[in-house]
Amino acid sequence: MTRILRAVAVASVLALLGLLVWDLANQNGPGVAAAVDKGKAVPAPALNLPRLNGSGTLDLASLRGTVVVVNFWQSSCYPCKLEARDLAAASRAWAGQGVVFIGVDAQDLKSAARAYMRRYGVTYPNVRDAIGKTWPKWGVTAVPETFFIDRRGRVVPPHITGQASRRAIDDGIRRAKQS
Amino acid sequence: MRTIAIAIAVAALAIAPAAYACAPRASQASLETKLVCIQCHTTLDESSSPFANELKVEVARRIALCQSERQILDAMVAEFGSSVLSTPQTHGFDLLAWILPIGGIVLGAVALAFGARYWSRSRGPTRVDSTEGSGLEPEDERRVDEELARFD
Repeated sequence: MTRILRAVAVASVLALLGLLVWDLANQNGPGVAAAVDKGKAVPAPALNLPRLNGSGTLDLASLRGTVVVVNFWQSSCYPCKLEARDLAAASRAWAGQGVVFIGVDAQDLKSAARAYMRRYGVTYPNVRDAIGKTWPKWGVTAVPETFFIDRRGRVVPPHITGQASRRAIDDGIRRAKQS
Repeated sequence: MRTIAIAIAVAALAIAPAAYACAPRASQASLETKLVCIQCHTTLDESSSPFANELKVEVARRIALCQSERQILDAMVAEFGSSVLSTPQTHGFDLLAWILPIGGIVLGAVALAFGARYWSRSRGPTRVDSTEGSGLEPEDERRVDEELARFD
């Protein structure tokens, strides 16, 4: 009996230790944003989500070889509304020059997100992250945030937090193209 | 006369608000306790974040459409997954959230019962048998008897 009780106790402790190790191994840390803010270029985290404007999913990995602008937003966010037209205009201006824009709408109602896109003339591909599961890996803390990915699939500086101006967007794209 | 009555009836129907077209089958207050703002992780009734307010408006819109509480909750789960619910569902993987604590309590009780039984047995009988000797050496026992005899 003592042996059984001892075995159960040891097994319980080992199971709890295993859980602790698993949890530590699966923590996302500060995400890529912190590294990019320090001037580093880091591999872009996986991003494969259902499209908001269109069917199927969009996989960021499929865009390797192009410069990608990734913008995180929400329809209820005021600074997102302020930058939306600039992003839409920039996406049109850079079209055909090896630059792709992707919007990541998170924690938002689909109907509200689609209405937002219609209102601000957002026609570039947008994906939906229903519960914001991509945020920790990217290090997004509050929307809007904008990242630039070079042709090699690396997130490169600058990382724009808050409203992105047209000038900042163009500057980020140029730097990503030169990277 | 009949023409006027028909006209009034038609006008009344035309101006009747849409909300009165059906009797609401769900309560806003009840649903706000069952849904969570996934940004702030509190129930809607305790949150006033923009996202929570958006969900409240959506819930009100669906209530006005006479959707039942079940239909509204299902729609929210379809949109955001089960994490939008304040309590885990009672089917699928979420069922574990209900079973595990109960299972843990039962297992704990069984382990306690076995432990108590084992502990009480391993200690053995503590009763002193009066038929056995007093535990004194014969010489000491003789002296005690002599001393006691003096009081008789």
